Amino acid sequence: MVRFSFIVFSFSALLMYTSCGTDTVDSQPNFNDLFVNTSDNIIIPRYAKLQTEIINLSGALEAFDGTEMKLSNLQNQFIETYHAWQRVSVFQFGPAAEFSALLRENCNTFPANPILIEANISLENYSLDLPSNYESKGFSALDYLFFHAHNNELLIELSNPLRLAYAKDCVDDMRSRISGVVTSWDSYRTTFLAAEGNDRNSSLSLLFNQFLFDYEQIKRNKLALPSGFATQYGIPLDADTALVEGLYSKQSFALIATNLQALQNIYLGIGEDGIDGVGMYEKLKEYNAQSTVVEGDLAEAIQDQFEVCKTLIAGFSNDLPFEIQSNIAQIQLVSNEFQKMVPMLKNDMRSYLSVTVTLTDSDGD
Amino acid sequence: MGINSLQNYLSDTFKFFTSQTSIAPLVIFRIIFGLMMFLGTLRFWCNGWIDTLYVKPIHFFNYYGFEWVKPLSELGMYMVFLLLLVASLGIALGFFYRLASLLYFLLFTYVELIDITNYLNHYYFISLIAFLLCILPAHRSFSIDARRNPSLQLQTIPKIYILILKFQIGVVYFFAGIAKINYDWLFQAMPMSIWLQAKAHWPLIGSLFTEKWVAYSASWMACVFDLFVVFCLLSKRFRAPAYFILVVFHVITGIMFSIGMFPWIMILVTLLFFPPEFHQNIINLIQSKLKIKKAPQIIVNSLLLHGSKKKVLLSFFLLYVSFQILFPFRYLCYPEKLFWTEQGYRFSWRVMLIEKAGSATFFVTDSITGKRGEVDNSQFLTPTQEKMMATQPDLILQYAHIISQEVESRGLINPFINAEVYVTLNGSKSKLFIDPKVNLVELKDGWQPKNWILDF
Repeated sequence: MVRFSFIVFSFSALLMYTSCGTDTVDSQPNFNDLFVNTSDNIIIPRYAKLQTEIINLSGALEAFDGTEMKLSNLQNQFIETYHAWQRVSVFQFGPAAEFSALLRENCNTFPANPILIEANISLENYSLDLPSNYESKGFSALDYLFFHAHNNELLIELSNPLRLAYAKDCVDDMRSRISGVVTSWDSYRTTFLAAEGNDRNSSLSLLFNQFLFDYEQIKRNKLALPSGFATQYGIPLDADTALVEGLYSKQSFALIATNLQALQNIYLGIGEDGIDGVGMYEKLKEYNAQSTVVEGDLAEAIQDQFEVCKTLIAGFSNDLPFEIQSNIAQIQLVSNEFQKMVPMLKNDMRSYLSVTVTLTDSDGD
Repeated sequence: MGINSLQNYLSDTFKFFTSQTSIAPLVIFRIIFGLMMFLGTLRFWCNGWIDTLYVKPIHFFNYYGFEWVKPLSELGMYMVFLLLLVASLGIALGFFYRLASLLYFLLFTYVELIDITNYLNHYYFISLIAFLLCILPAHRSFSIDARRNPSLQLQTIPKIYILILKFQIGVVYFFAGIAKINYDWLFQAMPMSIWLQAKAHWPLIGSLFTEKWVAYSASWMACVFDLFVVFCLLSKRFRAPAYFILVVFHVITGIMFSIGMFPWIMILVTLLFFPPEFHQNIINLIQSKLKIKKAPQIIVNSLLLHGSKKKVLLSFFLLYVSFQILFPFRYLCYPEKLFWTEQGYRFSWRVMLIEKAGSATFFVTDSITGKRGEVDNSQFLTPTQEKMMATQPDLILQYAHIISQEVESRGLINPFINAEVYVTLNGSKSKLFIDPKVNLVELKDGWQPKNWILDF
């Protein structure tokens, strides 16, 4: 009996020992450095940059006087702004996901619907706040308005004040939404830093899930869908080059490249000032995370896969619609490489960061 | 052994099972169970899970043989949960107890049967306990029913009514312990190492979690605990220390893992193992605190089992016990590694045993045009459903049939559906899980081994 009591005592003492701290301390891994670096050096500066670009776009539109030079300024500024968008498209949580903003839907629903756009312009009767106008506003609509024809034709079209006013309305709509998000981030920053833990409303979960979502947007909507590798409700779709992002400005690959680079920088924790801070990469290193998809270190495996994808995208000499028609085998290869990243993120990174997918309880012992 | 002595032995056993014991432990068990179910249902509701699990999903994954169970409308589902709340209070108070316990069992089981991706051993446990409570006379003392109808009052009941609950609780621990006797758990400290690693950032003790010896001790201790705790609880001598360890164990796992109400439920229901006086004291305490008048004394107060009722009940319990003991071993009928194929995995108390993650990519090919495309899982499933589906072969198969029905309803006849599924088990290298060339539409689920699962 004495011996048994001793065993029981030591057993429970050990259990108590391993549990004693947990009542008093915060029980979640510390991601605070990651959150601080991501919000202060990546998210907030990127939104600020987008705001600057959209203000400049607004200015370029004001300054448009019907000359080819001003049109070219306008087009260049549009492309700058479009790329600035690619760098925030992943941050669709917090202020950007508020009903008043809904940035992704309002700014970057593609492809554009030219029939709807033309109808809106000629009828002069439209409310850009309506979800039914998602496909006739935002970047894809401006892409259409500023690029869909030769410059001399565009100049004639844009001499129509109604058309110019429509473009201006589209820019103003984005501008006010983006400004709203920029302002909200001032106060949301505190919320973002404080939402620790790994439940579905924690910052870690928001950041990781949006990261995965944005990556899958590139993979599916920007690449697989126009190339005919995707399905809609299970039905295989034909290739349709009109579905690409940046169709008229021929920016499809460039936008994908920027989007991918933006994700990679978040992953590495590289701020807008170029300084390499704490990112998911550093966290995975801290955990000594191992990849189950390829041999070795997970942090490096994901980094390598980013590089593979970037190199492949940069390897095309023409824009995406042309390559879909003439070089589909290579597109398929790129698509396969994009796919390889998915289990690294979904299986490995998710379990190392302990991000919960399951909102409910798991099986207990 | 002669016929006579066997008969004597059996009759002695029957005598033991039908001999009388106090009803108090059953009464306290009823109150605890009812209240915990009330809290659990309330928590489920407040977390918005009725909506996320039963209203939002477009498609649901069925249990084999229960394909006919369908969710109700949004209002209907909320009504079900409202009734669950009412029924759980009915159980706790012993108010229309027979109706309440039957209603609770049926509705709870119905809700669980709607979608297999929500399966938890702990929900299965609750279904079983609710089922047993439908049979047991738990309302015949210290209940509203017994107060309204004093002829119901009992002081003693046959032992079997308590033993069957102890058996059910014991099964959970013991089988969880047996399940842990495997190479990965004991000699690789897997997946314990992965789970502890994830807590490595805890201040003060975090660094301990990266130590191999901690993972090994935790694995072994959990295994020994599960195997022996019930036997210790049954013995007078070891009961108190065993219960103390049980509380510590559940509190730790409750803090470390997101396992909801389960640890707290187990801590409370295992009070059943304490002697009747303990429970009578609790009843007396509640009576004096709530200033409830003592029920009027009654003369006949034992529930005796006689004749055919006794035979039916005892044979039923015998059947029940045999099923509970045998069913978890059905996995032996399947070839290949259990944790990989999960054939015969559910309903066997394999709680927190493996760490599995998968990513499943499905492709639909139009057999006529040859057109092929990747399925966007988010157009069909919730993230939870997708996660559960990706590691369980029967659900992968069901999902292929869900896609098939959807595309056929949209006019694509005879689709060819295959899937590239990569799964990692206990931190192993991600491997192809099922034959990526097989047309899943042509396969049917069943009890036979699934030969399209690739080797681990």
